[in-house]
Amino acid sequence: MEMKGEYTIPASRAAVWAALNDVAVLKAAIPGCDSIARLSETEIEATVTAKVGPVKASFKGLVTLSDLDPPNGYTIRGEGKGGVAGFAKGGAKVRLAEGPAGTVLSYDVDAAVGGKLAQLGGRLIDSTAKKLADEFFASFSKLAAGSETAA
Amino acid sequence: MYAFDYKRPKTVAEAEAAFAADSDAAFLAGGQTLIPTLKQRLRQPSALIDLAALDALKGITVADGIVTIGAGVCHADVAVSADVRKAIPALADLAAQVGDPQVRNRGTLGGSIANNDPAADYPAAVVGLDATVHTSRREIAAAAFFTGMFETALEPGELVVKVSFPIPRRAAYQKFRNPASRYAVVGVMVAETAGGMRVAVTGAGPCVFRVPTMEAALAMNFSAGALQNIQVPPDDLNADLHATSEYRAHLIGVMATRAVASIA
Repeated sequence: MEMKGEYTIPASRAAVWAALNDVAVLKAAIPGCDSIARLSETEIEATVTAKVGPVKASFKGLVTLSDLDPPNGYTIRGEGKGGVAGFAKGGAKVRLAEGPAGTVLSYDVDAAVGGKLAQLGGRLIDSTAKKLADEFFASFSKLAAGSETAA
Repeated sequence: MYAFDYKRPKTVAEAEAAFAADSDAAFLAGGQTLIPTLKQRLRQPSALIDLAALDALKGITVADGIVTIGAGVCHADVAVSADVRKAIPALADLAAQVGDPQVRNRGTLGGSIANNDPAADYPAAVVGLDATVHTSRREIAAAAFFTGMFETALEPGELVVKVSFPIPRRAAYQKFRNPASRYAVVGVMVAETAGGMRVAVTGAGPCVFRVPTMEAALAMNFSAGALQNIQVPPDDLNADLHATSEYRAHLIGVMATRAVASIA
C-alpha cells in the first residue's frame, strides 16, 4: 500500500523538525501510543495499541531514522509485531519545506500488513491507514505549532 | 478465543453497571462481528455483557407516523415484519439484504449501527430516513450519530435502546453487494421525507454520507433522468481489492438511479 499526503503546519521549519525528533511529541501524536523510548540517535522503540472497530491489537516495534537532513527531512522505517494479530511494516519519506502559511510537511508512505489482520481486514486496511495518518498529522500539527508558541 | 467473564443482565441499568464495573468490558448484541473477532484473538475483553435478555431492546411498533424498532431486533424479524413492510417497505427490503441467513437471524439493528462498519447497510437507513437513535442516556439525531469509520457518538458504556424511523412519503434502497460477504460495495437509500429529499450512501466511503447534489436534483425533478449528469468525486472514497474508488463513485450513480426508478 502506498499513501501520499501534505499538511501545512503553522510553525517554523526548525520547530517542526524539533517536534519530529521529540519522542514526547510523537507519543502524544501517534494514535494509541502506550510507550515510546529512544534507544539511540536513530532508533526508537514504541508500543502502540490499535483499536479499529471490533479489533484491538497491541504492536511492539522498532523504528529507525535514516537520511537525516535537518531541517529538510528524514526517512523513517519501522516494523511492528502484534502477536497473533500479525505484523505491520513500512516506511515514510518525510520532507519539510517553507510555505506561505508555515511549514509544508509532505510524506510518502509505503506499508505492508501481514497475518490475520491482512487476511480478515483486507478491505479496511487502506481506509484504516488513512484514518490513522490523518489523526496523527492533526495532533502533530497542533503540538508542533503549540510548542513554538510556548517557546 | 481468550478467556473472559460472561454477564447476562436483565435491565439496561444493570447492563450499564456491569460495563462500568469491568476494566475492559464489551457489549455483546448478535455477535456477528464480535464473536469472529474473539475467535481470531483480535480482541481480548475482560468481560462480555450479553444484551439478549434485555426486554427494553425488543419489539417493533408503528404509531403516529413513526416506526420504532428495538436495538435487539434481528434483521430477519425486520425483514418479515408486516408492520414494517406496510409502513416503510424500503426498510424491510434493506434488512432482507443484510449478510446471509445466519447474520440476519442473529445480527441486530443496535449492534450494526453501534459497530458502524463502513459497509454495513443499516447506517444508510438511519441517515437516509432521518431516524433518531434512542440510547440509555439520550436521543441522538441520525446526522450526529455516525462520526467516522467504526466511530459513533456513543460514549463508553452507552447502549442503543431503540431507533425511531419517521415514515417517508416514498423510499427505496439499492445495493451492489460483494458476492462473498454480502457487504455493500455501495448501498444507496433514496427517500422523500417530510424534511425533504435524502440520498444516503454506505459502503463507498469510510462512513455513511449524504449526496447534496443528488438531493437538490431530485427535489426539482424526481426521476431517474435527473441524476444522469451528477458525478460523485472519488477522492475520499474507499479503495480495496474489490473495487477502486472511481468504481465506487460510479456505482453510487447507478444505485441511486435504480432506487429512484423503482419508486418514481
